[in-house]
Amino acid sequence: MKEKVTFKRLQDIPPVAISLGTLLWNKTGTWRYLKPKYVVKTPPCNEACPAGNDIEGFMVLVKEGKLHEAWELIREENPFPGVCGRVCFHPCESSCNRRDYDEALSIHAVERHIADAHLKSKREKRHTKIKRKERVAIIGSGPSGLTCAYHLARMGYGVTVFESQSSPGGILRVGIPEYRLPKAVLDREIADIESWGVEIKTNTRVGKDIPFDDLHKYQAIFIAVGAHQSRRLHIEGEHAERVLSGLEFLKHVHMGKKVSLGDRVVVIGGGNVAVDVARSAWRVGARKIQMVCLESREEMPASSEEIAETEAEGIEILPSAMPLRITSDGGRVKKVEFIKAKLGEPKPDGSLNPISIPGTEFSLEADSVITAIGEVPDLSFLPREVPINKGLIEADEMGFVHVKGFFAGGDTVNPVHTVTGAIGSGKKTALAIHEYLRGGWSREKFRTIQVGGKGTISLKKYFHPPEGEANPPVVHFQDLHTDTFDHQPRISIPRISIDERRGGFKEVNSGMKGEEALEEARRCFHCGVCNGCDNCWVYCPDMAVKRKQGRYEIDYDYCKGCGICFEECPRSAILLEEEGR
Amino acid sequence: MRTVIEGSHAVSYGVMLCRVQVIAAYPITPQTHIVEKLSEFCASGELQAKFLKVESEHSAMASCIGASAVGARAFTASSSQGIALMHELLHWTSGARLPIVMVNVNRALAAPWNIGCDQIDSLSQRDTGWLQFYCESSQEALDTVIQAFKISERVSLPSMVVLDAFYLSHTYEPVDIPDRERVDKFLPPYEPKYKLDPKDPRSFGGLTGPDTFTELRYQMQQSMEQAQSVIVEVDEEYRKIFGRGYGRMEAYRCEDAELVLVTTGTVTSTSREVVDQYRDEGKAIGLLKIKAFRPFPSEEIRRNLKGIPKVAVIDRNISFGSGGIFAEELRSALCNEKERPLVFSYVAGLGGRDITQETISNVIEYTLEEDQPKEASLWPDLRR
Repeated sequence: MKEKVTFKRLQDIPPVAISLGTLLWNKTGTWRYLKPKYVVKTPPCNEACPAGNDIEGFMVLVKEGKLHEAWELIREENPFPGVCGRVCFHPCESSCNRRDYDEALSIHAVERHIADAHLKSKREKRHTKIKRKERVAIIGSGPSGLTCAYHLARMGYGVTVFESQSSPGGILRVGIPEYRLPKAVLDREIADIESWGVEIKTNTRVGKDIPFDDLHKYQAIFIAVGAHQSRRLHIEGEHAERVLSGLEFLKHVHMGKKVSLGDRVVVIGGGNVAVDVARSAWRVGARKIQMVCLESREEMPASSEEIAETEAEGIEILPSAMPLRITSDGGRVKKVEFIKAKLGEPKPDGSLNPISIPGTEFSLEADSVITAIGEVPDLSFLPREVPINKGLIEADEMGFVHVKGFFAGGDTVNPVHTVTGAIGSGKKTALAIHEYLRGGWSREKFRTIQVGGKGTISLKKYFHPPEGEANPPVVHFQDLHTDTFDHQPRISIPRISIDERRGGFKEVNSGMKGEEALEEARRCFHCGVCNGCDNCWVYCPDMAVKRKQGRYEIDYDYCKGCGICFEECPRSAILLEEEGR
Repeated sequence: MRTVIEGSHAVSYGVMLCRVQVIAAYPITPQTHIVEKLSEFCASGELQAKFLKVESEHSAMASCIGASAVGARAFTASSSQGIALMHELLHWTSGARLPIVMVNVNRALAAPWNIGCDQIDSLSQRDTGWLQFYCESSQEALDTVIQAFKISERVSLPSMVVLDAFYLSHTYEPVDIPDRERVDKFLPPYEPKYKLDPKDPRSFGGLTGPDTFTELRYQMQQSMEQAQSVIVEVDEEYRKIFGRGYGRMEAYRCEDAELVLVTTGTVTSTSREVVDQYRDEGKAIGLLKIKAFRPFPSEEIRRNLKGIPKVAVIDRNISFGSGGIFAEELRSALCNEKERPLVFSYVAGLGGRDITQETISNVIEYTLEEDQPKEASLWPDLRR
């Protein structure tokens, strides 16, 4: 204050002890030794998505009712929202911080809702232009190959995809039964990819229908043939009639071929393919289906939801048993003999190591046996210089093979087979090919487009580098301040009844209604991303938080650094750092 | 609208009619029903107010202080330990000259735990600079809440409206709920002269030296003195509009009395009955109900007790080492009079014990018999 005020008489004194002038001159920000700062961090769901979806971002758009924009956002990274919303094993939900509060968000259901809304909309006519002279050949039109093709086409490259089957989609088409992934959804998403100018040559098996050497006119070759050969059991009697491989069976079902299995079917295997096989066998009319696997129930690689549905459909699961031999009568399967087993330490090559328990032999009557104990790629068509190790192509995480111009991805290089993993791999390879053709790739560049630390990358970050930290830290549950969140259970997705499922391939899981999707999106914590919730603005005791275009800025002239905004931000989007003065 | 409601809810209706803008409260028996009902009014939209659920009574009063400082009409209610926890902020409220109204449902203080009625919670806050009004009926509680806002806003001091636990708070009585329009006319929106305004930030209640502190305190005392007449004026205006008034006190059948009972709160109603019985028997017993405790209406008391030989004060409270608090206040109001009545101090009804007609008769009989009280405080309902 400039001048000293002296009260002479009682009447001069105001009844309230109040300063006579403004106190704006008193810049209390100078008292600060801690400084709050708005930051954007990495939500754990985004880190966990192998395809690199901006999940938190599409939840914002869904909440605002912008389903088309949400669809566009997903498609910046992933051309298959309708597929992923149905068949992905959703590691995003396992990482969702809401799991530690009540229940994880049903992210896959929201994604599916976004895709379904698009499916119902009219198709856009897209006029794509191939802007670049380089052309890329992709072998295989599965999730990995088509994702790579899609991103390269968006970048302006001419892309040709070679597919041995009569229609594109790879494992999505021939491996995943229609009750999980309806044909219409797959067809539409592939058509959307084609609309970018991607050329798909079906009925063209490279090495058979065309020689591999024909591909040398392309400047880059992406090998994404998937893993379509079933592993053999290597037991006595497996060559009998009505002993089928899982993928072969699924392919036949897909093509509508009549497969006569008889009444009793034994399925050998504990993964998702085995489950698909068992549930498809039930749908084509088998009466008694028994699934037998080496793993214990807890160790089974199939998803728990799928296992639950399998049992709901009356399929019996017999875990911890090893097949010994298949006995036949007149060349036809009669029964399968097993012995109870438990898994020891994995073998040096990583394969399962069952230890049989003497005296626990048992046998199951069977009219058919279907094996689904793992699938491997058929790489016999490749030129010799392509490096192969343990049945898989040797490639780095971006898809580079150490032969100039060669790239590989998806199940062809990855021993763990997931659709979303293959999509992520295809995306990374698209970027690798782009960088290769443009002449430069560095680990440093990879670091700046990573989302968290699980290997996921973001093309959005590649094309539009964000301000601030390139790969900010991931927000964990303990970073959140959850007091302002209500408890609300996860939406339960209705399924059609068992009776409706019998004898057909009608989709089992139903979609959500619009308001349900909205409600589910509202459950999102938006970990590490400001969503304008007003908490900082409400709680700042100095009124130093100012609203600005739906977000906030801090008036550091008056921010004393009390840290209340940091404490009150529910989503850890405010950082408190030491004042640099 | 005439209806039968609980005393607590009568208060809630009064608060709603005052168009209070901020309510900050923490539950405590026997007060809780008041703010429960108010939260329902807020939820239904009948009352457009911000209802703050806070973590303690200290925070409740702090929130009311903040709200009142920016010019909002603020209300809270509490009891017993809750009032005790607020103590620091009760001083702040009056010192900051904020016209907050609080209802205190009188409840004994622990230890040992007790939820019954006595007045020690409010009387312990005697020197905090709050006006205090003790109510006899649910109707009076409702009316007093409305009056209290008007009085407080005129003198820039907070008011405590006091009710007996259970006898009033949890008892259903017929109550007339005034019309909203008439209350709006009686109580216009609060327009403070000084208020906290973020666009023109000032310092409030900052460090004040000995050069001005005395003057600020003197102004508070002057406002309390001013309140003596404001209470009467507001009550008269209220009576004109709504047909009911209470004054700072009420003298009942005191004419030519040889003994006047002095009471507060619900004991008054019981005492009226007893006084009527004595009058029927031709014995000149009167009753003085004191409503305003702060400011203490000394002059009016002196006027009412002029020529009365004996006074029996029934205190539902005790100042340990001294006696009944109303009796003390009464004595100090009378002590400079040349002719003054003998004052008998009775302590009764602590922790929810009923003060029955029998207890009151015993008080009257003893006072009539004795020339002087044998003890500084007499305990008529003590089990001997």
